[in-house]
Amino acid sequence: MARNRKIDHDELKAALERKLRQTEQAARPARQLGFVHHNVDCIGCRACEIACKDKNGLPPGPRFRRVLPIEGGRFPDVYAYKINMACNHCAEPACLPTCPTGAIWKRGDNGVVDIDSSLCIGCRKCEAACPYGAPQWDPQEWVVKKCNMCIDELEAGRKPYCVMACMMRVLDIGPIEDLWQGRWPTTAVGPGEKPVRQVRHMANPELTGPSIAFVAHRKGRVDER
Amino acid sequence: MTRQEPTQAADRDEPCDPLPAQQWLARLNPARRNFLKTLAAGASLASAGSLLEFSANTGQAQAFAYEPYPKDDELTTVVTSCDHNCGSRHMLVAHKKGDVIVRLSTDDGRYQEGGKFGFESEQVPQLRACLRGRSYRTRLYSPDRLLYPMLRVGERGEGKFKRVSWDEALDYVARKMVELKRDYGPTAILDQAYAGSSYGVLHKSDQIEGLLARFLGMFGCRTNSWSVPSYQGTTFSSRTTFGTITDGNEDDAFAHSKLIIMWGWNPAYTFHGGNTFYYMRLAKQRGCKFVVVDPQYTDSAAAYDAWWIPIKPNTDAAMLAGMAHHIFANHWQDQPFIDRFCQGMDAGTTPEHLKDQENFKDYILGRYDQTPKTPEWAASICGVSAADIKKLAELYATTKPAALKASWAPGRASHGEQYNRMAAAVQAMTGNIGVLGGCAEGVGKGWHPESVAYPHDEYANLWWASIKSDRWAHCVLNYPEVKREELGLWPRADKFDGVIPNIRAIFWHGSDWFNQLTHINKQIAAIGKLDLVVCMDSTITPSGLWADVLFPIATHFERHDVALPWYKGHYYIHRPQVIPPLGEAKTDFQVFTELAYRLEQLDPGLNGFGKRYNPKAERRYFHDNAATDEAYLVDWWRDKVQKRQGVSMSWADFKKYGVYKFELPRPHVAFEAQIRDGKPFPTPSGKIEILSTTLATVRDWTKTQYGYPIPAIPKWIEPFESLNHAKARQYPFHMVTPHPRWRTHSIFHNIPWLRETYQQEITVNAADAAKKGVKTGDLVEVWNDRGRVVVPVYATERCLPGVVVLHEGAWMDLAADGSDRAGNPDFLTLDQPSPAGAFAYNTLLVDFKKTTLRHRPGWESEATSRASIFRRDK
Repeated sequence: MARNRKIDHDELKAALERKLRQTEQAARPARQLGFVHHNVDCIGCRACEIACKDKNGLPPGPRFRRVLPIEGGRFPDVYAYKINMACNHCAEPACLPTCPTGAIWKRGDNGVVDIDSSLCIGCRKCEAACPYGAPQWDPQEWVVKKCNMCIDELEAGRKPYCVMACMMRVLDIGPIEDLWQGRWPTTAVGPGEKPVRQVRHMANPELTGPSIAFVAHRKGRVDER
Repeated sequence: MTRQEPTQAADRDEPCDPLPAQQWLARLNPARRNFLKTLAAGASLASAGSLLEFSANTGQAQAFAYEPYPKDDELTTVVTSCDHNCGSRHMLVAHKKGDVIVRLSTDDGRYQEGGKFGFESEQVPQLRACLRGRSYRTRLYSPDRLLYPMLRVGERGEGKFKRVSWDEALDYVARKMVELKRDYGPTAILDQAYAGSSYGVLHKSDQIEGLLARFLGMFGCRTNSWSVPSYQGTTFSSRTTFGTITDGNEDDAFAHSKLIIMWGWNPAYTFHGGNTFYYMRLAKQRGCKFVVVDPQYTDSAAAYDAWWIPIKPNTDAAMLAGMAHHIFANHWQDQPFIDRFCQGMDAGTTPEHLKDQENFKDYILGRYDQTPKTPEWAASICGVSAADIKKLAELYATTKPAALKASWAPGRASHGEQYNRMAAAVQAMTGNIGVLGGCAEGVGKGWHPESVAYPHDEYANLWWASIKSDRWAHCVLNYPEVKREELGLWPRADKFDGVIPNIRAIFWHGSDWFNQLTHINKQIAAIGKLDLVVCMDSTITPSGLWADVLFPIATHFERHDVALPWYKGHYYIHRPQVIPPLGEAKTDFQVFTELAYRLEQLDPGLNGFGKRYNPKAERRYFHDNAATDEAYLVDWWRDKVQKRQGVSMSWADFKKYGVYKFELPRPHVAFEAQIRDGKPFPTPSGKIEILSTTLATVRDWTKTQYGYPIPAIPKWIEPFESLNHAKARQYPFHMVTPHPRWRTHSIFHNIPWLRETYQQEITVNAADAAKKGVKTGDLVEVWNDRGRVVVPVYATERCLPGVVVLHEGAWMDLAADGSDRAGNPDFLTLDQPSPAGAFAYNTLLVDFKKTTLRHRPGWESEATSRASIFRRDK
């Protein structure tokens, strides 16, 4: 529990130095990984959400991955689609500079924004700073936790639990630049479809540079409003 | 395959004794530990796939922030599956440390012969588990697990029990069984087993041929429940029309359709086949068009970008008749197909001995009742415009191949069988049967697995009375003043024919029927009249609270079995005992075997019951079942899978890999042999019977299991209640009660992870909600003559005005005023089955209003944050 935690001072010092470095100069990963999701073909089943909770052993409350159902129109001319988001592992994470203990850092190899919750003192500043709701409060442990793209699975050469859970094969990861350019082979994107960087209701990507790609619903496209 | 033992020393293994309820969440998230700084084990890289490049420069594994700390490759991997009657059967992979499951994953291509991470193909797909399966760890370790035998100490339904020994519980039940059979005869015990834990080949709860049926049959006292809640109307239709319920294609066949009409079908919620929804995505990418005929704009309508045709509930047969009329009127029917394969589609296909019967075409054209079933006629009933009916009819008749998937839900209604038969007639008249990309589905059972490893013999389905399943309360309350047709009493050729069963006891096995059958208030009145109620389950269910005796049954994680695909899918998944049974749980097979031994001691007439019931077992089976269960499974693999299905893989290899996937040369399509090769259909005439030979010859309907007349051809029949009914003035909303996504019927209702993803709520059209002065989140009471429930509202444009939707399976929670505060729709449903046995789950009128009564969702949603996806820039 955060309230009982004694933090190792050397560990803390190193973490704070790392934070300062990464705040002054955003980490430029060798290859930034990001998620891609098909907003239309997603059936909204939330297998990804539950797989994530199981993987990370989360109690009710925090949901690193969230499927948001969008609907609109007037009967009978209605539409609906899903937006599925976890942490966007931003180029310039808003959460990172807010952390008083340096628990959050960005990985140099794949750009995963990771958190060392054992350094977390539960101040929740990162939670407030993130425009996407990625860092989340664990009401049982009194610390903030977040998606780390299943870094252990990545390091074992596999994909994150949410991706491997997707029953429709509409959620995937890949090098985000390649995904945006449409040159990364993935089942998330169908033939002739092109992913976008932003959909309606989503915070301006200029703010933090989220590593996320969506195949948007026609009503969700920001360029056709 | 990753099957290594843990490489890191465990802090300590979790005890496998159950924890007190308040600690169960802590168990999900074992005590935190410091950073695990560990070398990336070489073994873990051996299974690396193409993604290895992502992590090329990691010499040392970095900090891993979250508990549970152990990485998958440091844990023991055990392949198993999910286990419920949901519509599919997906793989679950347990990653465990000692006897504690740390997490679950699913099929990723590794667990089959020649498999590797990420492998799948259109022919050999991965079997990825759904949200319910992925939550299984919390069900397994739930505080609602039933861990010890219990005996009721309070009033029935009060929920007060005491823990007793197995000896005491078994002896109590055995003694009562002998008394009941002696005093009330062979119909005293009602078998209400259901498919809650079926689809193993060895341990099986099932309605007709599960372990309970054979146990009660050999004991000599059993009233059977014959109608299947989910799809009896559809079963009747498929048997009548095609002579079989094996009328389904395998799910990959859907990828080849040019048009898919999802009639009352929401594959985004109810998985009919393990990858059906995925193959439909492939179809969409290949240019397939989609149509949804449904009162709701479902997630399936959205995902497949379908043309939504909102229809009034229970009027589906009328709309299909209107489509048939338009097809006949324009001569779009496939006449050569009709002439060759159908009976009674028209005058020309009606055989001489049935010439006095009505044929389908002349009925549709109105030659008998002077009412042509035109699209305009249909529009006045179903609320869909004649133009849309014509457009859909033309689309379906002119697109080849086209799949009209006539789902079960519209058939769960008054005269639901007529809807399914009408759909079958329309499928047949367009020649979309027996061709790849077409669809003849009613029941939709595809590939046939070898499903039985337990002893299966002439005792497997013995009964002395058999009734429509949701008529038991009516029978008990009115005995003996009940007519056979009111019960749907199945005819017999002996002295028990027509004898009303004197039901004095109920056995629930893998069944939560008290919560799930229609008209719960009537069941509550009836259950007080019984002498014995036994519930066998792994969970303390709402039904269990009404039992006298609770037997704790091991889950499929705690017993050895093999999983079958569910209606679609061609594979077997090995299910070893992943962990020892929690508490004092025993397998169902152990309990029945032990009861049989105890019964033979009480009743000398049952000589050898124990050994006959479980021939491979010794008396100590109750305490040691491993070798016996293995022996049954080995025999099944050798005699059935290897010999009949030509599988060459050894049993040992199957166990080693975890899954055996058949690779079919091309997608399995029902009735291909009939259409391509001219093999007769398994009907009396050998044809697709639009006009049923069997039904045409019935003279006295009261002597049939149906009780009431059923026309020999599909016809539109007014339902008991609908929006077109006079009663709609008093109760102006038609309620439908579909299967939810977040439960399998009532299973998983108690899982907090799943409760976070939804809430039990009544879906109401936004304009209707405005008229009632309610908005999303407001509480309403919903009522009719039969009951009252309290739920929150979801007001949406995605629902037809006049229709409300309340998903079945919420765990009943009775308040002192008799209302149900959980929102279980079966307090409102009608216990009047259709003649063919279809439950009237979707035939009910209700009204609702804003309320100050409390809703009790069954979990503390307030206690947790409700993070939404975009928090700032809404």
